[in-house]
Amino acid sequence: MMMMNGEATEAELFLNCADMSVLERQRAQLNYHHLPGFFSNSSTINGGEIDDGFLASAGLDLPEIYGEVHGDARISVSPGNITNESGNSKKRKFGCVDTETKVFNEKKKMMMMDREVEVEEEEEKSKITEQSTKSIMKMKNKAKKEQNSCSNDSSKVTKDSQRTDYIHVRARRGQATDSHSIAERARREKISERMKFLQDLVPGCEKITGKAGMLDEIINYVQSLQRQVEFLSMKLATVSPRLDFNIDDIFAKEVVSAPMMNLPNTVMPPHMMVNSGYPHDMVNSGYVHFNPMQQVVTSSDPLACFNNGQSATMWDSDVQNLYSSLGV
Amino acid sequence: MQPTSSMKEEFLKKWQMGLQIYRPLIDNTSVSERRKAIKLSADVAMASLRKGTTCWSRALIQKTATEDNFLVRQMLSGIKAETLINKKLPKVMCHRKIVRRSKMILRRRQSRSAIEEVAAKARKLVKKKTQGLRNVVPGGEFMSNDVLLIQETLDYIVSLQTQVNVMRSIVDAAEAGSERTAYYLGKLKFAIEDG
Repeated sequence: MMMMNGEATEAELFLNCADMSVLERQRAQLNYHHLPGFFSNSSTINGGEIDDGFLASAGLDLPEIYGEVHGDARISVSPGNITNESGNSKKRKFGCVDTETKVFNEKKKMMMMDREVEVEEEEEKSKITEQSTKSIMKMKNKAKKEQNSCSNDSSKVTKDSQRTDYIHVRARRGQATDSHSIAERARREKISERMKFLQDLVPGCEKITGKAGMLDEIINYVQSLQRQVEFLSMKLATVSPRLDFNIDDIFAKEVVSAPMMNLPNTVMPPHMMVNSGYPHDMVNSGYVHFNPMQQVVTSSDPLACFNNGQSATMWDSDVQNLYSSLGV
Repeated sequence: MQPTSSMKEEFLKKWQMGLQIYRPLIDNTSVSERRKAIKLSADVAMASLRKGTTCWSRALIQKTATEDNFLVRQMLSGIKAETLINKKLPKVMCHRKIVRRSKMILRRRQSRSAIEEVAAKARKLVKKKTQGLRNVVPGGEFMSNDVLLIQETLDYIVSLQTQVNVMRSIVDAAEAGSERTAYYLGKLKFAIEDG
C-alpha cells in the first residue's frame, strides 16, 4: 500500500532524529506501527477499554478510509501533531455499537476531527436502527450545540474548530461527561499507553495484564539491572588493576587478524613479567618480542586447537589489551 | 526500543573520560575503591547522556556529587555542572499520620459495597507498587504525577541497559584477554619445561 510506505518513511525520519527522548521515539514507533495493527487485537491493560477487535470483525474495508484521510496529509511528523494522533486514537474507542453502517459512519467521523459540521450531515444521512447508542445521541447533541452556539455561518464554525486546540474526546456509553472525569480518563489512558511501552522494554511481560503486576516486574527489572551494574564494576575492578580498558575492543570486532607466522619459543618472559609485577622498563625491553604472539600458529600442535576454536579478532583485541596494560 | 550503538559509544567515551580522572590516583588503591571509581564514573556518564533533560539524570548526578564532587565537576565541564549540583529539588512532603487519619474519617462516611472494596484494595496495591518504583528510580520522590514517573522509568531503563551492555562487553574482553594469556602462559611454561 502506497500509504503505508509513506508512513514508514515518515516514521523512519522521525525515529532518526537525534536528541529525542525515548518516549517520543517509542511513541512515533507505536503511532506508525499500530495504524495497521489497529485492526488486530491489541493488549489491554485497562481491561477492555480499547475495543479494536469489534471493528475488525465488522469486516469493513476500513484501510481505505484510512487511506483517504492520510492522502490529505493531515497527519504530519511534528510532535505537535502527534498529540492529535493520540487524540484520534482515543476517539476510536467506542463501546457496544453493533450495526455496520453506524460503525462505518462513526469511523468516518472520527477521522475528520475538525469538521464537526459534516459529521452532523452524515449522521442525518445514516439510518439509525433500534440499537441507537447514547454516544451517537451525544454526538448529535454536541454537534447541534456547536451549531447553536456558533453563528450559523458555516465558514465561521470551521474557523472556530480550527482555532481551538482541544482534543475532543467522545464520551462513551454510560460514562460521565464532566471535565474532571474526562481529564482523569485522559490521564489514565496516558498511563496505560506508557505502560505498553514498558511492556516492550521489560522482557517477559507480554502476558501480564494488571497494573500492579506490571509495576512489580518493572521494579524487579530495574533492581536487577542496578545489581548487574554493581557486579560488573566489581568484576572490572578485580580484572584490571590499572583501570585501563581498550575502547577499540568493542567496536573493532570486524578487524581481520594478522597473517599467520611461526611462534618462536622466546616469547614467554614478557608475559610472566607483566603478570608478576616486574618493574616497567624490564617489561618494555621484552615488548618487541610480543609481536609474533599476534600471529597464531597453524603448525605447532598444542596451540592449533586453540586457534580453530576462537576467532582471530578476539586474539587481536587481547593483545591490544596487553599493549595497553604495558602502558604503551 | 533497545540501546543503539551510538548511545553505547557515547557512554563509553564519557565513561573513559571519567576513568582518566582517576587514573593518576590508582597506584595504592584497594579493589573496593576501584570499584567505586568505576561505578561512579559510569553513573555520571550514563546520566550526562541525557544532558539534564530528565529528572532521574539530574537526581543521579546530584547523588554522585555528594560522594565525589570533584569527579562530577570534571566530567560535566561547563555551566551545567554548577546548576545541576547546586539546584535544590522540591521534595514532596507527606505527613503520613495526618493523611491516614483524614482517610479514616472519610472512610467512615462512605458506605462500602463489595465491588467498591475490591476496587479500593486494587488501588491501594497499585499505589504501593508505584511508591516502590519511586524508591528504585533515582529522583523518584520528586516526581509528582504517575505519568511522569513512568516516562522517567522508561528512559532510565534504556539508559541502564546501555550501561550494562557496554560494561559487560568490556568485562568479557578483559576477561578473555586474561584467560587467554593464562592459558598461553601455561602452555609455554609446559613447552619450555619439556624442551
